[in-house]
Amino acid sequence: MALLELKNLSINYGAIQAVRCLDLEVNTGEVVTLIGANGAGKSTTLRAVSRLLKVREGSIHFDGREITRQAPDAVVRMGIAQSPEGRQVLARQSVLDNLELGAYVRKDRAGIKSDIAKMFQLFPRLEERKQQSAGTLSGGEQQMLAIARAMMSRPKLLMLDEPSLGLAPLIVLEIFSIIRNLNAEGTTILLVEQNAKLAMQHSHRTYVLEAGQITFSGLSHELLLDERVLQAYLGG
Amino acid sequence: MTTAQFLQNLLNGISIGSVYAIFALGYTLVFSILGIINFAHGAIFTLGAYFTYTLAVGQFGINGLLSGLNLDLQVPFALSLLIGAVLAGLVGVLLERLAFKPLRTRGADSLLALVSSLGVALVIVNAIQYLVGAEIYTFPSQVYGDIKPAIMFEISGQPVVVRTVQVIIFAVCMVILALLGYVISFTRIGKALQAVAENQTTASLLGISVDRIILVTFFMSGFLGGLAGTLVGTSFGIAGPYFGVTYGLKGLAVIVLGGLGSIPGAVLGGIVIGLAEAFVPPDYSAYKEAVAFAFLFIVLLVRPQGLLGRSLIQKV
Ligand SMILES: Nc1ncnc2c1ncn2[C@@H]1O[C@H](COP(=O)(O)OP(=O)(O)OP(=O)(O)O)[C@@H](O)[C@H]1O
Ligand SMILES: [Mg+2]
Repeated sequence: MALLELKNLSINYGAIQAVRCLDLEVNTGEVVTLIGANGAGKSTTLRAVSRLLKVREGSIHFDGREITRQAPDAVVRMGIAQSPEGRQVLARQSVLDNLELGAYVRKDRAGIKSDIAKMFQLFPRLEERKQQSAGTLSGGEQQMLAIARAMMSRPKLLMLDEPSLGLAPLIVLEIFSIIRNLNAEGTTILLVEQNAKLAMQHSHRTYVLEAGQITFSGLSHELLLDERVLQAYLGG
Repeated sequence: MTTAQFLQNLLNGISIGSVYAIFALGYTLVFSILGIINFAHGAIFTLGAYFTYTLAVGQFGINGLLSGLNLDLQVPFALSLLIGAVLAGLVGVLLERLAFKPLRTRGADSLLALVSSLGVALVIVNAIQYLVGAEIYTFPSQVYGDIKPAIMFEISGQPVVVRTVQVIIFAVCMVILALLGYVISFTRIGKALQAVAENQTTASLLGISVDRIILVTFFMSGFLGGLAGTLVGTSFGIAGPYFGVTYGLKGLAVIVLGGLGSIPGAVLGGIVIGLAEAFVPPDYSAYKEAVAFAFLFIVLLVRPQGLLGRSLIQKV
């Protein structure tokens, strides 16, 4: 069953059309990768799902309900979380406060506490710095915090916009193994990545976006062998 | 200046300064969320005083639509003070919905919000005049209960008089400041408020309803403004519908002095301006109002970001 379904989606920034007639589905239990060159419209698509952008045409359905015109906070409550592109941590607040705010839509105090402990297990560097204000973390640490914070809402759908950006290779591998574990525990994931090969190796299906339109889609392990995808995104 | 005079001025300054502080915090809250100055804040200050007067006394003069009316509601003063502030908070909410939100959703320049709030201020002031006239209303001297009007003690043989009203005002302000500090720093809604102040997009990605936080902010701002109005009203009387204008301007001086958007800055700025006014020699008391601005001018020459403000460079 499709957890997220984008139908014929078009999004504009003023006169610029950033996404055109896009169809995309993420089924419950899947990891889906969205790849594409810079400016292809990947972040725009995720922002539209999080309801930060107006949809010009088409529709967005989540969990059986249309959310095309919902407010951003409403879709978070319905179970969509996003770790946005480029360290969008709350710089003035502490690491701990950032994580607690990640669980803003939840009411189960005990569950939140144990999830914070879990995040500290996944990212020990965050625990060492939990009282520090997030703005003083390194770029990579802020990236970890943004991912951990998105997970804190226990979303049904977790959207990660370039989670490996600015992280050292070893940490990148760790992030991908975390993604795999989360998925094994039941979280559906929509992943935007520049690191196409790694992302495809860790996902069930892949969509390729070019200039706002989907040009290829299919099972990741098949697309990994596709001549055209190989040429354009996997460095030959 | 004798020790007794010094002490006298200090007490006067701290008392009125604490009112300036809670009043100015109303500006600060809205500014830190929306980046705009709410020019109707002074009018809300005035309204708060009239609301409380209506509940606690309710006896109107000879002018205006309500002339000669004696409501005689006899609501206990502490309760009137609270309800007056809550009503002022609700006016703040209404103000946001009528004057600020429509402009915001259209992406209008923030200068327009300023003009629109100024317009609302005029409407409020005129409405008050229409209803109850431009006369002075005073609270009965026993409004805070059956207590001595003043405490007197001697310092090196000279008398120091502390008006009980001043002590109560100071205490009320401290309680409110502590409460506000607690709410903003330690509660869920306070942390959400800080998140919205820092980045609205990020806040909404966390499931925080920015719209609701803005409403809460306007309520708190109006509450603080209305409360300050009542407190000043009990100390010096309600001097008419334009009562809040000078306080509105002084409040602006306070927040700029303390540093725009800084909560501790607004508190410090309020106390500093209260003290500066209190130490104006009696011969020059006619120029007291200018003191706040003279002080502001000097401080800004040395520290353009205000006493506790982040420097603009840091902010970017
Ligand atoms: N706020 C904006 N105003 C105007 N145009 C924008 C805005 N944000 C994005 N765009 C344009 O929309 C297009 C898609 O941008 P988007 O950020 O979705 O790309 P992307 O696929 O995420 O790229 P990258 O891999 O570089 O992050 C680009 O051409 C970009 O210039
Ligand atoms: Mg992007």
